[in-house]
Amino acid sequence: MMLEKGLEERTFYLNLGPQHPSTHGVLRIVLEMDGEFIVTADPVIGYGHRAHEKMAELRTYQQYLPNMGRVDYLHALAYNQCYCMAVEKLAGITVPERAEFIRVITSELNRISSHLLWFGAYLLDLGAFTPFLYCFDDREQILDLLDRLTGSRLTYCFYRFGGVPVDIDDDFIAGCRAFSQRLRSRWDDYDNLVTKNVIFIHRTRDVGILPPEMALQYGVTGPTLRGSGIPYDIRKSEPFSVYPLFDFEIPIGERGDVMDRYLVRLQEMEQSLRIIEQALDKLPNGPIMAEKVPKRLKPPEGEVYTAVETARGEFGIYLVSKGDVKPYRVKLRVPCFSNLSVLPELIKDTMVADAVAILGSIDLVIPEIDR
Amino acid sequence: MQFFLAEGARLGLGLIGVISLVAVNALFLIWMERKVSAHIQLRPGPMEVGFHGALQTIADALKLIGKELITPEDVDKLIYLLAPIVMFLPVLVSFLVIPFSPTLLIRDLNVGVLLIFAFSTLTVLAILMAGWASNNKYSLLGAIRSVAQNVAYEIPLLLTAMSIILMAGSFQPSVIVSQQAKVWNIFVQPLAFLLFIICGTAETNRAPFDIPEAESELVAGFHTEYSGMRFAIFFLAEYTNMFIVSAVATIFFLGGWHGPFLPPVVWFLLKVYALIFLMMWFRWTFPRLRFDQLITFAWKILIPLALLNLIVTAFVLKLVR
Amino acid sequence: MPAHTVIETVAAIVGPEKAVPVDYAATGCHVRVEAQPEQMPALAQAMLAQKFFLESLTALDLMESFEVVYHFASYFELCRTVVHVPLPVGVEVPTISAIYPGADWFEREVFEMFGIIFSGHPNLKNLILPDDADFHPLLKDFVASS
Repeated sequence: MMLEKGLEERTFYLNLGPQHPSTHGVLRIVLEMDGEFIVTADPVIGYGHRAHEKMAELRTYQQYLPNMGRVDYLHALAYNQCYCMAVEKLAGITVPERAEFIRVITSELNRISSHLLWFGAYLLDLGAFTPFLYCFDDREQILDLLDRLTGSRLTYCFYRFGGVPVDIDDDFIAGCRAFSQRLRSRWDDYDNLVTKNVIFIHRTRDVGILPPEMALQYGVTGPTLRGSGIPYDIRKSEPFSVYPLFDFEIPIGERGDVMDRYLVRLQEMEQSLRIIEQALDKLPNGPIMAEKVPKRLKPPEGEVYTAVETARGEFGIYLVSKGDVKPYRVKLRVPCFSNLSVLPELIKDTMVADAVAILGSIDLVIPEIDR
Repeated sequence: MQFFLAEGARLGLGLIGVISLVAVNALFLIWMERKVSAHIQLRPGPMEVGFHGALQTIADALKLIGKELITPEDVDKLIYLLAPIVMFLPVLVSFLVIPFSPTLLIRDLNVGVLLIFAFSTLTVLAILMAGWASNNKYSLLGAIRSVAQNVAYEIPLLLTAMSIILMAGSFQPSVIVSQQAKVWNIFVQPLAFLLFIICGTAETNRAPFDIPEAESELVAGFHTEYSGMRFAIFFLAEYTNMFIVSAVATIFFLGGWHGPFLPPVVWFLLKVYALIFLMMWFRWTFPRLRFDQLITFAWKILIPLALLNLIVTAFVLKLVR
Repeated sequence: MPAHTVIETVAAIVGPEKAVPVDYAATGCHVRVEAQPEQMPALAQAMLAQKFFLESLTALDLMESFEVVYHFASYFELCRTVVHVPLPVGVEVPTISAIYPGADWFEREVFEMFGIIFSGHPNLKNLILPDDADFHPLLKDFVASS
């Protein structure tokens, strides 16, 4: 009977998330599927909305600092830095050089820890369990270092307006050097275990190609963009802090596929190590805190936009002051927001397995998107 | 009369033996899997319950038995409940013809190999039943993938088996083993062994071919909606299937019970567990293949190779004899 | 792309005195533009033609009126351009999501947070807030419950 009528062909909807092993947070993607193939994809966000932007209007400048470690908890220090830079610019505070060096060292360490976590979690998405624990083993060293210095392991709130509260000591410096040596010795392992694996190459080569023009239209930034061959990195393109003093490269990809994004992130870790080592070598002596930073900060009326390069791309703060003790408006320009908005284009007409591979390659931190 | 009594006693004893072997084997393999994966991943694994966590699986099993059996609404009840049973029963039957040693085997059937292959194919039916009856899209996708995968990998598996059967001239497992007293088949048929291990891993849905239950894509695939002991039965079946595939590979390629010094049954089990260790090693090292790559791999690489191997075997045999 | 070429191009759309260079060290931007809502699509088109990407799109609640703020930046040269669009209450802004697909989500966020309507937007519904949320949290007269 069925055959006489002919089987009706139709698509069906599949909810990828909000509870799903590979969305790494509460992201939901409504997939319209034709068998294994994806016809359309519609990301649904907002499950982790904590109203960070509204909170900014209700708190003083200092009180808002701890929020910055909780927007993107994986590269919290970059967010700390961006917010401090914005307020410092607005209030005209100059940060001593040693403090800037400490900021760069800790932020780069944090970037490596973020990339390591991404590396492990991404391999988990592709079905390889083991690299995850190798990365966590390495990442643990960073967490221990930063834990000793900042007092927390994840949601750091370390920078202050005008500098940093705690100076680094010889133990920390020795620890950084030991870590960079250790991580360097791991590259071969990672290459042999993952990068040269035939299955891995098949899963990532020419999958999820992001053309540069599309990246431009969607405002994609970070390693996701650099995988497509555009060397846009705020650390070079719009130098902030003391980054111009260091010699490092911006790794870029050629084809813009998942593999290129993966390679870019791996090479970025090496570049971060270079930055850290140079910063340790050149570390100047001096104060770590600007003098006379008022307890009750009241920046003059005005607006400012500052941007930093986080592990995921450009994080910008648009800060408007009306001369009050509280910000008038804080807009957090988060990289993953724009990076995720390009996802429907990338996963159209791919299979579920590819969709997971592409989703992972964008390196999303969902609470950051929801703010 | 006496014949039937003796045979009945033999079968009864055999079944009891098989069921206890299945249980003990699964307990051991789960512990082994956790330990192997842990040591590959730079961690100790379970350490608390018993010596180096040896009793951990028993604790887990007790927990699973104690769990509420949730039957979701809107499932196809009959098929949903039957699926774990259909998954598990054929697995038991296969043990009837596996020769652990020249004397330790329940039935020495002259179509033993056929019986194993025929019954192990039934697991795909169980997976399809579980996936279909669960009324869950992830389960359904897992079931569809599983059927496509099993159909694709069954063919090269049987083709490589055929080249061994051609050499032995018999479907009887004990005959195949006794012919390898001097030279194991792995040295005569290395390609066939390779193909057989690949297809065997795929047949048991183990990584890197675990797409029917690909965790990061399909949550848990066909058994997403199963909980408690029903889930445990799928788990049990997976490990028992690993044992059977490895046992068949041992019979076909590694000379079965043959080996110096140690008793035959020890040699047999040693080889089986070595192969299982190999499969675990795969799982904890490789990423997962994509669905279409998996199918392409079977149809475009494995099947032609297996066919070629069969033809060459037949040709050489014709020349030699 | 030096600031003056951007100013030239933009001034052709919004008028000469509306596009001015600003102090980068103080504001983080190089060019400040003041535009009328109806000029936005043309302006976005001009920015895209100069290979600028949409960095951010947000709004300010100035109590009696709104201001929609666009930030454009370039991958290739350092020239951040901020566009302010003063907006009396009740006036709509034409969408630029057809020109910058990335603006789609930004506009939806501004819509739900401030209640500003982007005319011509294909899918103007809540993005982060629940679908049935009928409040606009970032308005100054919205009182947070804590």
